[in-house]
Amino acid sequence: MNSVALTRWSGEDAQRRVAKRYAAERRFKLLGLLAVGISVAFLVFLLATMLVRGVGGLSATFLAGSDSTDPAMAGVWGALKGSFLTILVTIGLAFPVGVLSAVYLEEFAPRNRWTDLIEVSINNLAAVPSIIFGLLGLAVFLNVLHLPRSAPLVGGLTLALMTMPVIVIAGRNAIKSVPPSIRDAALGVGASKMQVVFHHVLPLALPGILTGTIIGMARALGETAPLLMIGMRAFIAAPPQGISDPATVLPVQIFLWSDEVSRGFVEKTSAAIIVLLVFMLLMNGLAIYLRNRFERRW
Amino acid sequence: MTLTIALAAVLAIAVAFAYLGRSRARGMRSGGSRLNSLPAYHAGYVFLWAALPALLALAAWSPIQNRLVEQAVLASPAGQQLPEFDMVRDTILSEAYEIAAGQREAGFNPESTALAPVYRATLAHYAWIGGGLAILLALAGGAWALTRVHPGFRARSGVERWVMGALVGASLIAILTTLGIVLSLLFESLRFFSMVSPSEFLFGTQWSPQTALRADQAGSSGAFGSIPLFWGTIFIGAIIAMIVAIPLGLMSAIFLTQYAPAKLRSVLKPALEILAGVPTVVYGYFAALTVAPLVRDLGIALGIGSASSESALAAGLVMGIMIIPLVSSMADDSIAAVPQSMRDGSLALGATRSETIKKVVLPAALPGVVGGVLLAVSRAIGETMIVVMAAGLAANLTINPFDSVTTVTTQIVQLLTGDQEFDSPKTLAAFALGLVLFLITLVLNLIALRVVRRYREAYE
Repeated sequence: MNSVALTRWSGEDAQRRVAKRYAAERRFKLLGLLAVGISVAFLVFLLATMLVRGVGGLSATFLAGSDSTDPAMAGVWGALKGSFLTILVTIGLAFPVGVLSAVYLEEFAPRNRWTDLIEVSINNLAAVPSIIFGLLGLAVFLNVLHLPRSAPLVGGLTLALMTMPVIVIAGRNAIKSVPPSIRDAALGVGASKMQVVFHHVLPLALPGILTGTIIGMARALGETAPLLMIGMRAFIAAPPQGISDPATVLPVQIFLWSDEVSRGFVEKTSAAIIVLLVFMLLMNGLAIYLRNRFERRW
Repeated sequence: MTLTIALAAVLAIAVAFAYLGRSRARGMRSGGSRLNSLPAYHAGYVFLWAALPALLALAAWSPIQNRLVEQAVLASPAGQQLPEFDMVRDTILSEAYEIAAGQREAGFNPESTALAPVYRATLAHYAWIGGGLAILLALAGGAWALTRVHPGFRARSGVERWVMGALVGASLIAILTTLGIVLSLLFESLRFFSMVSPSEFLFGTQWSPQTALRADQAGSSGAFGSIPLFWGTIFIGAIIAMIVAIPLGLMSAIFLTQYAPAKLRSVLKPALEILAGVPTVVYGYFAALTVAPLVRDLGIALGIGSASSESALAAGLVMGIMIIPLVSSMADDSIAAVPQSMRDGSLALGATRSETIKKVVLPAALPGVVGGVLLAVSRAIGETMIVVMAAGLAANLTINPFDSVTTVTTQIVQLLTGDQEFDSPKTLAAFALGLVLFLITLVLNLIALRVVRRYREAYE
């Protein structure tokens, strides 16, 4: 009985079965490669389309000008400046609040119902649709607090609420990855809990926090929907001078131009997309660089 | 302007006091006494007492100031001539304020231009009072704290208490934001439901959110049945997009974690991250300009005459591609969390790698994958720009993917970006839609987070 089973393994039947299984293995692997390939091909196709359509629209007047009804005169500088001011407000608010709350939740918070509630709301806020934040901004910042409409201040506030949870989650992961031995050593030489956190844990966690922050900021830079809600879609022909001036931002400018029927704006829209993508790639590249350069495996 | 000066003055005073505090503590140390806290903590303590009360006072002053200024302006000779009627008066006042603040050149009403100098003078008057108050507070707080600098004084605990307060305050902002979202959506939705019945909104199948200018106009009532919107949202976000994203995302994750050599992986993973980082407005433009015509031509070639250039398929396809990185990274995490011993056991029994993946790894990782898919659905149905740009506005109840459907987010944008007064059911409907959208994504997120967390605990 035993010898019969053994001979079967080298028989033709068995060979065929093994070959079939190996073929299935290869097919599966190819399927996986195909899946990744489709995503990458789509990305390349998208980038190539935008480059081909928009590269002719990139010029000095385009980079230095502001919105105009004449496609030949329209430029992105006004929108770029609006984006810059908005992101400045966002980072100024979201970074400190995000880092402090990550520190609290990871290092100090007692395990109780309140902490659970904070944790659940942060995790949920990170996944709430961005347009809901726009509705919040419209209802609270504009209709209750009467802040100036269309201003980078309100846009920045709204985006700060949206990016804060992202920074908190990244910050907590970075703080969690600092080994407890560091804390124990600092406590052992007489540091207070606060000194342990601010002198030792935070500096070690900083690259991770910064990576998360940059990714969050890149997302905020590309965000359109909440800013439409708070009125940053007006036609603005002069670059904003401060955070309470009416302004528009680059993604919204792209959206506004994409609606223009005049053919000249098709090229301008693609050119503006190139500018936006360059900024996004720079920020993502910086994040990846930071992660690779400073990431430590303990 | 005065505010900025006051702010700068308060900070300068605080820094000066902090410096004094530090040098005083240092002097005590070099005088031979043993300090409880380092001089820097004394400086920090003095700084906080000089700056924080003054800054709080400044923040509290501006609403008080606005009210006082308004009263003073109304009591002035020019203000007393204003019409009694509240709404007209308020318009003139706010115009005068804008002129005084330099936000506009001239008012629509001649009265407001006349009132502007008075407004400006009173504004400056009260701003000086507020600024002076803050500066006094800063001086008083700093001086008081300076008297407490003493070798035995526990300045560090004092500073750390303030820092702890800041930490707790920062983490409460998340709860406040959630609360703000719920309350603002609920409040506006209640106003909407006082005009349109909830059952019509939730179960009606007609959506045409017009409100008439005159009562006797044709089609004056407007219809607010949201079923077609939710169907469109689910059709695009939860059906078409997921048919694209789940298989592709899952297979990508399997390939990247199980098969790809390290070098290939280090190229492909950032590529997927870039795909995730492309702004949605770019996807939307691409969907509307490139994918939609292709899909329409395909529809016509298939003999579907009604193929629309704003088809559900075009928006859903692009949205699916956008979601792939999210599904992939969630699946990646849960596959990586499956213990190596399970994989080794299966391989040792003679299973091939694909058999191990299909029969052992995937079933073990399933809860995490399901959690990821739920998060992806929640992301897809809340996605706005792709559908605003590539899906239509016609509220159709259809299962033909070449037909045009509209979604909840598209309608919110449509309802709120027109020139509308803020009391009409049309604008308020956007908040009701937002509330339902928020609740749906909340439930999806909570289930997904719970599933993912349970599952992680199971293997730790």
